[in-house]
Amino acid sequence: MKDPATQVSRRGLMKNLIASDRPKRYAMVIDTRRCIGCQACTVACKSEFSVPLGESRSWVESIEKGNFPDVGRNFLPRLCNQCEKPSCVSVCPTGATYKRDEDGVVAIDEEICIGCKYCMHACPYGMRYLHPNTGSVDKCDFCLHRVEQGVAPACVNTCQGYARIFGDINDPSSAVSKMLETNAVSVLRPAMGTEPMVFYIAADSSDERYAERTGVYVRVETNRRQQKRV
Amino acid sequence: MLEIHWGLPVIIYLFLGGLGAGAGVVSASVFLRSHAGDASEGAFDIARWGALIAPIPVIVGVGALVFELGSFAVGDMFRWINLFLTINLSPMSIGSWLLALFVIVSLVYAYTFLGSNSRPGDEHHGLRKKMAWLMVPLGVGVALYTGILLGAMPSRPFWNSPILAMLFLISALSTGVASILLMRCIFGGSSSDAKGVEDSKYLLSSTDMLLISFEVLVVFLFIMYAHLTVGGVEHAIDVVLGGSLTSLFWLGFVVIGLIIPILIELKYVLPRLLKQEHYAMPHAMELAVCMLVIVGGFMLRYVVVIAGQVTGPIGI
Repeated sequence: MKDPATQVSRRGLMKNLIASDRPKRYAMVIDTRRCIGCQACTVACKSEFSVPLGESRSWVESIEKGNFPDVGRNFLPRLCNQCEKPSCVSVCPTGATYKRDEDGVVAIDEEICIGCKYCMHACPYGMRYLHPNTGSVDKCDFCLHRVEQGVAPACVNTCQGYARIFGDINDPSSAVSKMLETNAVSVLRPAMGTEPMVFYIAADSSDERYAERTGVYVRVETNRRQQKRV
Repeated sequence: MLEIHWGLPVIIYLFLGGLGAGAGVVSASVFLRSHAGDASEGAFDIARWGALIAPIPVIVGVGALVFELGSFAVGDMFRWINLFLTINLSPMSIGSWLLALFVIVSLVYAYTFLGSNSRPGDEHHGLRKKMAWLMVPLGVGVALYTGILLGAMPSRPFWNSPILAMLFLISALSTGVASILLMRCIFGGSSSDAKGVEDSKYLLSSTDMLLISFEVLVVFLFIMYAHLTVGGVEHAIDVVLGGSLTSLFWLGFVVIGLIIPILIELKYVLPRLLKQEHYAMPHAMELAVCMLVIVGGFMLRYVVVIAGQVTGPIGI
């Protein structure tokens, strides 16, 4: 066990299992300090995919906290986390949702999806919705149709504050790799074990339970249909 | 409150699928245990009723499921065929194949019992016995997989318990027994073999009593372990411990579906069990117990399916 050679080879094995056989590994870093909550990404995403009324692939939640005059307002942009261990993929009975070998993006084949909604339960982030026109489940796919042409995803392209940084982390010179190397980052709901590929800088985790615990006033606003964070 | 993605069709399916599978398993195991029906006329009668019941609720339940599909809702009637063009380790995929096999096998099994002159050792005997051997594992599989399906997701803390599948299996067997008793109660004619009828009724009632007592234990374990953890699971179980589904769970399922039936059954089963007296449960009591157990089985599925969806992971 203590033999350093074994340790190294183990690490090598792990690395192989997780990453290196994928030519690309797309990831996003969201610097919430630079987000002004303008919802431009929400709108860009909705128009890019003609997302039906009441649904969203990506949105910005706002967390209003504090008692006057000591108040704050933080933003938390949300999108599919493109997890390394996506629980939506392992429950799909038809294989319609899958993790792409070439870049790690979790995609859905809407021709195969039967709309059983199992994956909507399995996703701990509530990122999936049933598309009322196709009858299939839909979600963010890092704008695959744009990214494959070398164009940034719609939300990244439109972000005024450069809060969303997207790229390939297998390329050490990419902006996203450098962000990951130099910043303290976190992921959402790490206890779910899904290993998200969307990383946050300074994400505010305040919610009702935090308010109860600390006595600080907190209001979380989300533009989802049920008006509640899921 | 969060959105309910799985509504009444799924609840009805979980209930009917469990009931049909339970009836099939009970029928086949009683049939096999009584030397293929040779041991007593009562046992063959139980097996016959169970076999005739089994496929119907399962087929109706699966039919209801189709109405929950997004593809069906947009008018694509047959996209669900995609389920049967592949097989993977998703509990739903394995469950679909199990269901398909169960429906076929249970239909053949029921066919061998059709006809009022079916009796042990008639011309369908060999086929009936083969099908009975298949019915037991397939029925247990169908009853079990629904709980595994719900339990497979950390994102649904109320469902994410290994004992949920056990609860569903026991409830399925118990409602299966109740459905056989109920059918015999309503349609069973008088038999010349009074001893055989008493024995078979006693067998069913005491089995049901045993199953319900296990169910009470499993419910206790389910609630206790969830309540003893901290975090998402404890938060989720609060929905039946003071939350919005409390009265439905404790009155609708525990009292109506478990406590009252087991008390009635104890009253009539214990004299024979302990003192070898005659077993004679009044007709009305028999009817009441069966209906209560069946209503309780529905309530269990209802509460579990809704509770899993109105609760979720905590924190962000």
